[in-house]
Amino acid sequence: MTGGPATRAAAHAHPTGGPATRATAAGGPPAGGPATRATAGAAAPPGGGPAPTPATARRAAAPAGVGIGWRPEIAGFVADLPGLRFVEVVAESVTPTGPLPAGLAELRRWGVTVVPHGVRLSLGGVEPVDPARLAHLAAVTELLDAPLVSEHIAFVRAGGVEAGHLLPLPRTREAVDVVVGNVRRAQAELPVPIALEPIAALFDWPDDELDEAAFVTEILERTDAWLLLDIANVHANARNRDADPLALLDRLPLERVAYTHIAGGTEHAGLYHDTHTHPVPPAVFDLVREVCARHRPPALLLERDGHYPPAETLRAELDALAAAADCPSVT
Amino acid sequence: MVAALVAGASPPAGFDVARVGAARDALLRKRAGHVARHWPLLAAGLGDAWPATFARWAAGRPGQGGLRDGWDVARALHAEGTLPPLAAGELAVREATTRYDGVHPPRPRRLPALVRVGDAVAVQLLGRVRLHHRPRR
Repeated sequence: MTGGPATRAAAHAHPTGGPATRATAAGGPPAGGPATRATAGAAAPPGGGPAPTPATARRAAAPAGVGIGWRPEIAGFVADLPGLRFVEVVAESVTPTGPLPAGLAELRRWGVTVVPHGVRLSLGGVEPVDPARLAHLAAVTELLDAPLVSEHIAFVRAGGVEAGHLLPLPRTREAVDVVVGNVRRAQAELPVPIALEPIAALFDWPDDELDEAAFVTEILERTDAWLLLDIANVHANARNRDADPLALLDRLPLERVAYTHIAGGTEHAGLYHDTHTHPVPPAVFDLVREVCARHRPPALLLERDGHYPPAETLRAELDALAAAADCPSVT
Repeated sequence: MVAALVAGASPPAGFDVARVGAARDALLRKRAGHVARHWPLLAAGLGDAWPATFARWAAGRPGQGGLRDGWDVARALHAEGTLPPLAAGELAVREATTRYDGVHPPRPRRLPALVRVGDAVAVQLLGRVRLHHRPRR
């Protein structure tokens, strides 16, 4: 046990370009609040950033540095990371009326930012996004005092059938309109900005009109949403389509990245599967370096969803991520 | 499209059938993992055969969550006489403590229950459950 409240407090007393500074300098996502969202359309907030309001003062800082996806199975491991400043939690796993799971409540007391990450909103569904699911996400955001929420550019159900998985949309102008409509509905209900994550998919629709970069960029421009860039997804999609991942990165608005995801995967029957249950492959770390060389994201988050390795292995992976991104180690 | 992925339908025209098939197989592996978390002895009892056994049963059936999917698989295997003994005990305990009609979400049983699954006998009284194994004849 090297962490604990004392160490953590010390880490927070000497922020190295703390979240607020970093957000302003990099044009990253502001600390949140409805007032901030109105200015989010500009590539960078006005000099010095918006003055803190009671709402933004209460909210946790924007995601910064290296984080990890909080899961109950690794709550003890996460609590032992002394330099950790942000985590992400699957929004649907949190009861909106509270109380927070024990490990998460502890992290919040230590000042660690917790970002709710939705997986079932189905922003790409042709039916308007479910108001009850939106209300849940908004309530979880309040419970966590989160500065930001995130969801996927995907659909998870159609015609009343749950796919149990994030499915790719046809990259058509019609689909852009559908996503934009649903994101705007979400923004109207959510107390903080939303970041959108393009997914990894094993197949494409036959009638694509736009490429991935044009599709994502248009959605972001029309909604003023932030980008949650999953670097492992970029690798998976490029690898499975014989495409150049750098060609996509060079056309995405990297200055709009709120934070990134990094996860492991594996080859299976000639395809790369973004499993979140395998180690992060070297090619994904290479891409992290490429992203950082272009425009370093304010925050990078390791996702692991099962087959949890020994703590030292997970710690080494977090260190490797920090090294690739030239961020301070959190271990 | 969703029907093609979870309910066994053919993908609409124009899709790469092999790729959609790979996505469907990946979904089935993911579901098998979810079910194994709810039914560890069922998955352990089948060992290496678990993912394929589950995939055979689940192909064409939309998921109802790990608890119900596992329950339905265990009952189906029991009906065809291929449920491993470990899993029989697990199923007997579940049946004794929880009421599940195969359609609605399972609910706790309030009344005492005695359930036999293969050689496993589970007795539940006031929410406490004991598992016995009948001697083989």
